[in-house]
Amino acid sequence: MANHEIVRSKSWFWEWFNWSGSSSTMLRAAEKKILSCLRTAYRGWYVDIGPVVGTSDKIWTISLNEESPKTPIVLLHGLGAGVALWCLNLDALASHRPVYAIDILGFGRSSRPVFSNEAQEAESQLVRSIEEWRREMQLEKFVLLGHSMGGFLAASYSMQYPERIKHLILADPWGFPERPVERISRAPMWVKVIAYIMEPLNPLWPVRVAGPFGQWLIEKTRPDIVKKFSPVLKDTAVISQYLHQCNAQTPSGESAFHAMMQHFGWAKNPIVRRMDKLSPEIPITLLYGSRSWVDNSSWETLKQARSSSYINVQAITGAGHHVYADKSEIFNKYVLEACDLSDSIPHLTVSDIRSNIKTINEKQISLILANEEVDSKAVQEQELNTSQTRSS
Amino acid sequence: MNLSFAGCGFLGIYHVGVAVCFKKYAPHLLLDKISGASFGAIAACCLLCDLPLGEFTSNILRVAREVRQRTLGPFSPSFNVQELLLESLQKHVPNDAHIRVNGKLHISLTRVYDGKNIIVSQFSSREDLLQALLASAFVPVFSGILPPRYHGVRYIDGGFSDNLPTLDENTITVSPFCGESDICPRDVSSQFFHVNLSNTSIELSRQNIYRFARILFPPNPEVLSNICKQGFDDALRFLHRNNLLNCTRCLAVQSTFVVSETLDDNMDYDPECVECKMHRQEALVSNLPETVMTIFQDAIDSANKGIINWLFKHRSVKLLSLLSLPCILPADVMYATFTNLIGNKIESYTLEYNIIGNILHTSSQMISCGRHNMTSSRFILNVPKLRRNLLELRTFFLDQLRMLFPKININYQQMPQTIKCELDITEYGSNIYDTEEAADNLYKNKKNLNLTLQYNKLQPWKEHSKTSNCVINMSNLSTVDDTFENILQVTSDQEAVMAYYYMDDNNKVQVTEIFDVTDSESHAMLSMDEIENNTKLQFDEWDEPTWLSQHTLNDAVTESLYTDVNQQSIENLSEMSLEDDILEVLNISSDPESEWEINRNIQTGVSTPSNFQSEVN
Repeated sequence: MANHEIVRSKSWFWEWFNWSGSSSTMLRAAEKKILSCLRTAYRGWYVDIGPVVGTSDKIWTISLNEESPKTPIVLLHGLGAGVALWCLNLDALASHRPVYAIDILGFGRSSRPVFSNEAQEAESQLVRSIEEWRREMQLEKFVLLGHSMGGFLAASYSMQYPERIKHLILADPWGFPERPVERISRAPMWVKVIAYIMEPLNPLWPVRVAGPFGQWLIEKTRPDIVKKFSPVLKDTAVISQYLHQCNAQTPSGESAFHAMMQHFGWAKNPIVRRMDKLSPEIPITLLYGSRSWVDNSSWETLKQARSSSYINVQAITGAGHHVYADKSEIFNKYVLEACDLSDSIPHLTVSDIRSNIKTINEKQISLILANEEVDSKAVQEQELNTSQTRSS
Repeated sequence: MNLSFAGCGFLGIYHVGVAVCFKKYAPHLLLDKISGASFGAIAACCLLCDLPLGEFTSNILRVAREVRQRTLGPFSPSFNVQELLLESLQKHVPNDAHIRVNGKLHISLTRVYDGKNIIVSQFSSREDLLQALLASAFVPVFSGILPPRYHGVRYIDGGFSDNLPTLDENTITVSPFCGESDICPRDVSSQFFHVNLSNTSIELSRQNIYRFARILFPPNPEVLSNICKQGFDDALRFLHRNNLLNCTRCLAVQSTFVVSETLDDNMDYDPECVECKMHRQEALVSNLPETVMTIFQDAIDSANKGIINWLFKHRSVKLLSLLSLPCILPADVMYATFTNLIGNKIESYTLEYNIIGNILHTSSQMISCGRHNMTSSRFILNVPKLRRNLLELRTFFLDQLRMLFPKININYQQMPQTIKCELDITEYGSNIYDTEEAADNLYKNKKNLNLTLQYNKLQPWKEHSKTSNCVINMSNLSTVDDTFENILQVTSDQEAVMAYYYMDDNNKVQVTEIFDVTDSESHAMLSMDEIENNTKLQFDEWDEPTWLSQHTLNDAVTESLYTDVNQQSIENLSEMSLEDDILEVLNISSDPESEWEINRNIQTGVSTPSNFQSEVN
């Protein structure tokens, strides 16, 4: 593998004085170790997409079961992750169709060019890199599955290149809802100061600041992610090592994400705002963990906006934000069902949504109810405060 | 289904809210195991032992207030969390607690020597149980230097290894931090960045940062009270979402009483009291020179109006107290080390006793725990507390002054009084089971009403004029007509699901009660007589927890009623104007009589103070 091509050549001195502890060799080794748990044979290589953002961008791709004639499925990971985190899903998905998983440009083992600081520009750069990759791969039509930030990019991609999308599967996607209007925040001053200081920093800065302790930091703060993979991996430390290596390098993709984000995790250009641009022809399957609670009211607006087209929203009980790893079996089942459905019926419509969605419906309503309660309570508390000041 | 409570220090009050909700609406879920760490374990124990949770909450709020009054907060060397915890546990936990919780309660502990997580679920005695709970809530440095022993091994807070012990797949996780738990507050935030600290998922949001800081430094009681209510709400929402609950409406009533400094400490309103009578007698005969009188009166007045209070609340004084820390701290440290040293010595003795106990074939655990408990209470009590002594001294001094110049007594009673009654109504109504019904119905059933009744009475004695106002804020006017009656009715008919009180920084006693109003809807329409009865009853009910709970509170209520009577005796017009006020602002329409009835009740209810008052006059 041509690792040396990707990493900027540094002088021996800086190489030796490497605080962040990043090393592409270690990243490759960690990835290899994780993917060794796969039962299906996989192939990994760099796809040269030419000058898209930087001068010569390369996207790290792994593929399984390429020989299958069925519609392929493309996996886009979330922020700070990489292809290896799909290890619980790759086997199951590859049993039926070709699977391609990529490290999004600026993440994982892909090259890390400098993205624009502007939200729209950064987003279109990322989307364009995916499209260039598709052109290189010569895929005609495919199922696109995105998790978290990958879901956001997948949705954005489907808006620009609807003719390529057979089925859009979103796993707890980021960046859909609009940021709620902030009421007079009751947070004390010092919290605001902390928030103000943190705002301009890249989201995962502590990992890089911690330097050699970065892996330890990840082990301590996200033991849950590591634990999710314990059924297939004997040595789970490799997960934290992988995550550390993914994020210890130059955070170019992360900066792009930071440009698209505002106020700690809200999208600057949320998808709900431009839902009408998404072609009604594209069938959507939305999977989210019951515990993650990424604002569910936006799924409802999504449904209403697309009342005439196929949209299947499923909550997976007991799963959190990393829904693909928490309940991988159920997740794989839903994904395969969605793929099979769009294979068998060329044009999915509302009528194809099966009856099992009804149960979800109810749950959602109660969730929305709960949501409103929270809002109104905030109002109440405010009123309570005002009345108290009046009395004193 | 098992329950699991996260450890979270002073935020543990959230668990109490959750516990109350479960106890009321889903008792069938409590039959299984409950696990917890740190304060979560204590909450779990309370839940399993069926303790009076409202009282327990009040206790926590009191401790929080005490902590807040110190310059260094909970890190003051003379503040001993373990002791306070033990004290309240000793008071509340029943004698057969260990039998009740055996095999059900799972306490998460961290073993000191290897940092491994240990889950304990078998307890041989009540002391054994208490010891485990204390060990689970031991935060090094914060609670003390040496971790407590449990079965001969030293343990610290379970939160360091497994803060949210899950026993199996079907565990309902409860955490006061917004994150990926089943029951947790849902902040308005993107929920994107998470960390997972010893098994508790915490979202990196502003609110959570704030909460995190409040684990060891308690916020003011009002915030804590809101956290408790939030716990109740979140638990209800969880039950709804999982179809574990039919249709419920709940009502949170918050009442406020103003307690002025003097009342708080030493005023005794018992009209039969000999001393008071004596004071009055003295008042009649005493004739001191005007000037001396006024000087003293001024001095005491100012003290009462809380210049000191105000001063202590002021930022500059806070700064001053922080600056004076270097002088005070050594003394404090000395004192703390002294007590700790003795405590440790006793502990080592305990070990010896333990061994002897083993030889004598007596229950060794009993002895060790009993010994340990004794040390923590005996020595703390023996060493005089400067702070408390000063307070007593001042009280004594004021008492003496009052004996000398009894006329000043009258001036005490002219404090402006405020009765404030706030009603937060959050109604949970949904027929989740009726799938045929349209979704709209769900929204229709849900009412949200915030109603604030503020009854403010300033009573300048000299001007013989009065202001009284009554403000009712309603966010949902359409439903007011019957809702206000419903509130009165509900509060009268039913026992609160939960009731607790606390005193906030302005010496106001806040009483919060949560009522279940599901059943009361059936007889919403009532005749006039019934409503009258209800309002009478309502007032009794309203007073009841306050009369029972604490003497300061008791005083507060009496005082407020008392001024009411005062006014009555001065000018009878007040009642009319008050009624008008209410009518104007309120427009409750259906019957103003009921409103008025409350006032009448006050008068009839406390006729004796009225006599007393007239005598003084």
